[in-house]
Amino acid sequence: MTDHTGNNGWSRRRLLKASAAGTAGLGALALNGKAPFHFVRNAWAEEAIGNFPVKGKSVVFGFNVPQTGAYADEGADELRAYKLAVKHLNEGGGMLETLKPSSLSGQGVLGKKVDYVEGDTQTDPDAARTSARRMVERDGVIMYGGGSSSAVAIAQQYLAQEMGIVFMCGLTHSNDTTGKDKRRYGFRHFFNAYMSGKALGPILANEYGKDRRAFHLTADYTWGHTQYQSIKDFTEQQGWSTVDNIMTPLGTTDYSQFLTAVLNSDADVLVLNHYGKDMNNSLTQAVQFGMRDMQKNGKDMQVVVPLYSRLMAQGAGASNIDGVYGTTNWNWVLQDAGSQAFVKSFEAEYGFPPSQAAQTCYAQTLLYANACEVAGTFYPPEVIKALEGFEFEGMGPGKALYRAEDHQCFKDILVVQGKGPDKKSGEYDLLDIVSHVKRDDIIYPVDTFAGELGPYKPA
Amino acid sequence: MSARSKAPASARNGLTIAVFAAVVLSMPFWLPLIGGYEALATKIVIWAIFAVGFDILLGFTGYLSFGHAAFFGTSAYTTGLMLKHVSADVLPAMGASILVTVFLAFLLGVITLRRAGIYFAILTLAFAQMFHVAALSIFQGWTGGDNGLTMSTRPELLGIPMTGLNVFYFAAAIAIVGFYIALRIRNSPFGLMLRSIKSNAMRLEYTGVYVRAYKQIGFMISAVYAGVAGSLMVIYEPYVATKFLHWSTSGEIVIMSVIGGVGTLIGPMLGATFMLYFQNVVQAFIGEQWKLVLGIIFMLVVIFMPGGFMEGLRRLRGAVTPGGASGAGADSTASARQPAE
Repeated sequence: MTDHTGNNGWSRRRLLKASAAGTAGLGALALNGKAPFHFVRNAWAEEAIGNFPVKGKSVVFGFNVPQTGAYADEGADELRAYKLAVKHLNEGGGMLETLKPSSLSGQGVLGKKVDYVEGDTQTDPDAARTSARRMVERDGVIMYGGGSSSAVAIAQQYLAQEMGIVFMCGLTHSNDTTGKDKRRYGFRHFFNAYMSGKALGPILANEYGKDRRAFHLTADYTWGHTQYQSIKDFTEQQGWSTVDNIMTPLGTTDYSQFLTAVLNSDADVLVLNHYGKDMNNSLTQAVQFGMRDMQKNGKDMQVVVPLYSRLMAQGAGASNIDGVYGTTNWNWVLQDAGSQAFVKSFEAEYGFPPSQAAQTCYAQTLLYANACEVAGTFYPPEVIKALEGFEFEGMGPGKALYRAEDHQCFKDILVVQGKGPDKKSGEYDLLDIVSHVKRDDIIYPVDTFAGELGPYKPA
Repeated sequence: MSARSKAPASARNGLTIAVFAAVVLSMPFWLPLIGGYEALATKIVIWAIFAVGFDILLGFTGYLSFGHAAFFGTSAYTTGLMLKHVSADVLPAMGASILVTVFLAFLLGVITLRRAGIYFAILTLAFAQMFHVAALSIFQGWTGGDNGLTMSTRPELLGIPMTGLNVFYFAAAIAIVGFYIALRIRNSPFGLMLRSIKSNAMRLEYTGVYVRAYKQIGFMISAVYAGVAGSLMVIYEPYVATKFLHWSTSGEIVIMSVIGGVGTLIGPMLGATFMLYFQNVVQAFIGEQWKLVLGIIFMLVVIFMPGGFMEGLRRLRGAVTPGGASGAGADSTASARQPAE
């Protein structure tokens, strides 16, 4: 794997250089005579943007995932999904058979074999940008993708716009990614905090009553901030009140000081706006504090984790997540054809089911490749136009739409509840689907969030 | 040492600068040959500026600052805010950043330089962390908090867009000038004072020298290098990460200096090159475990080559030419080992 990245990268670089020099020479020769050969295929004027035009027999995708840091577990699963996506693009299989409408052939993209390079974002925006630049400048990627952490995604999205390379976001749940910080070159398949709030609010009120008092602990960066805001808004619409919120630094391991503040307040619901290892730690410690067996204001104290994932549930342990509510983008137990095709091939490859992070990254890679086929070129503005407003099915339950105005994908999401040790039927069966929320129930007007996409061509 | 090297000092300086300039300016050509790329070359040059400045404080004066991220980060934010809100030209942005850095270094110097050794290190660390926390909390509206400061501005220098190789040559020119100034400082009476502070500040005080002033100026010069590097970082990439203010940035520059060879000027730059090369190129070969491998390399260097890469080079030279260089090698090894403490 590592050999693959390195050796190919070097020789490819040299090859690219040589061929670049070659074509430049050819172009110069052809100037006074015939039109340059490489412009003939596509009619529109395509100047070089980013790493377009793609030279050679293969096209390179970049996969920039957290291999270290608080979201490393998600990153590892994302990388597995990316490798599977590349395999399917080159050899067929998986969701290639279920995606509709699809222009994918299963024999590479636009006649070129798909190759890839990988990088470590370290769950850090600066490291992620450096790593992404390596992919763009040295490895010549035509597109890159990855997550997690919305701060990382947003930082990379700005870079994508600068360099003219399409960025297919991995796991990023902040409203800002396709809100305030939306960019023409960034696309998000994953759902966001606003949708979580909208789906979760009524169910929480129904289950726990309308007179609850909530205390939030929130990861202190864009995702945490917007999720806190959305959950607060939607629960208050149901009649809840918000007692207080504490911002906790990303990567905190000891939450006891924050949990003490919760205990000392008159709140009867604890909302954990945490993800990855942060959530594992905060939830486990809240349970150790006895918060799930406690009475407050004459009611049972409850814990809510608005953004859930099977990986986190696994990390926190079945007894800790028993009955805890949250939302998720996708779960491997879904029975639609697309999900099943993906789960089967993933399990055959790795021996266990994929997480929601894996599903979104896999889908994004296929969606990008499909857009290239639809556009008939790798020329970024045309690929972007092919993705904008693209409506499809077969990548999960129901129909999905990539909205043109903010590059947010709208599709069905799930409200889930953790399964206790006595209810689960296997190691990976940790989430119980409480409600299957339809796309039309969580869609929102574009002007809900400010922000501009920016131009089709980088300045 | 000074007596022996006095006569050819200026000639040797000229040669050093020429070789340095040649190596740096040709970096975009040789770095891709070993798996690097353009943007990495720019980043290396920027960190090299940071490292040279840090060596003026740690290598010459013997003060271990664990808070240089405060200068690097504050300057980066100043540049970012200037570029975003005032003008896309880099000159006013850099000017403002240097002013802010000088002011900040003066204040911090007055407070922290009262103490030496571990107390100084802890004080600088504490102040730098205060800046980091402030950027994340009370100044969040300005700094963008944990998201970092994002902008769509394209920096330019008098109308020339600062992208790709333009940024590189701009940073490289500053690095060469910065290195030249550092060499001049080393050979100047002022540099001698700084080194005297390192060997025995109290004795120097008793001879009637106002040590505090020298320390303060040395500290401020070092901070300006950090500030220039921080500013260049944003010009190279119009984005400010909160990590620039974090203690790990201070830690990184300390590690770069130590593995490169403290007090040698070239050493810390070598250290910076190695670290960045490892983080960005070798990392991709190793995969998930790269941090572990890096840790082992640090340990090996510190245990077996306390003088860093420069000591390694000298030993190598000593081994190749046993007659000529062994005397000088042993001499400078001893002086280089001292600061590692």
